Amino acid sequence: MANAIASMLNRDNVMIWEGADSWEEAVRVAVTPLVDHGDVEDCYIQGIIDNAAQYGPYFVICPDLALLHARPEQGAIKTALGVCVMREPVFFKPEGPGVRVLVTLSATDSNSHIEVMRQLATMFGDPAKIEAIATAATADEVYHLFVDDAQA
Amino acid sequence: MAINKIMCACGSGLGSSLMVQMNIDDVLTELGVSGVQVEHSTISDVQPGAADLFVIGRDLEAFVNGIPDEQKVVLVNIVDKDELRGKLKEKFDAQ
Repeated sequence: MANAIASMLNRDNVMIWEGADSWEEAVRVAVTPLVDHGDVEDCYIQGIIDNAAQYGPYFVICPDLALLHARPEQGAIKTALGVCVMREPVFFKPEGPGVRVLVTLSATDSNSHIEVMRQLATMFGDPAKIEAIATAATADEVYHLFVDDAQA
Repeated sequence: MAINKIMCACGSGLGSSLMVQMNIDDVLTELGVSGVQVEHSTISDVQPGAADLFVIGRDLEAFVNGIPDEQKVVLVNIVDKDELRGKLKEKFDAQ
């Protein structure tokens, strides 16, 4: 079976960043590569920020990890992934948890990305894996942590 | 009340909620429970009567005040299967 993460994650959409002054800026930084790559429209960024302002940061799914996403109709063009590792943790809520790994998901409907979500859920269920991603030395290393170990 | 339908919800209905749905499917299999319909949706679909049990992350708890406690599971860590298993088992044991 094909590796869903590898097919959805472009190397250009993986990066390491020092830190952001606010969570909104962190969202912009993390999602911009997908905008540049034509995976999402620019308004997808605002969609994520608006959703978080309305409902809270529901996409912080465990300590150190945010799965940034908005609705398909909020500007998703293709089903794609992006990864941004922040050296300085981002606080989506003042009380935390701090988040160093920001994974952006663009999905064009509610079900086409089920296989990749299954792989990500397995990855993110392992705190050691998240720590390895957060402390990777280079963006190449981050990329390979996602695509090489994923269970096909 | 018999649990025949479970709805997991998040702010956009396709990320966190889908992950929870997959974990619920796995946990129900482990618990030997079958015949339960599990679906994922947005938090605005969480309404009394839409399902027998609702599963959400803690961040969204304030949006489900209309649902009685016995019909909702609130997760601290969305990807923690052990937490999910414990809380789901409680609900199924009580039904």
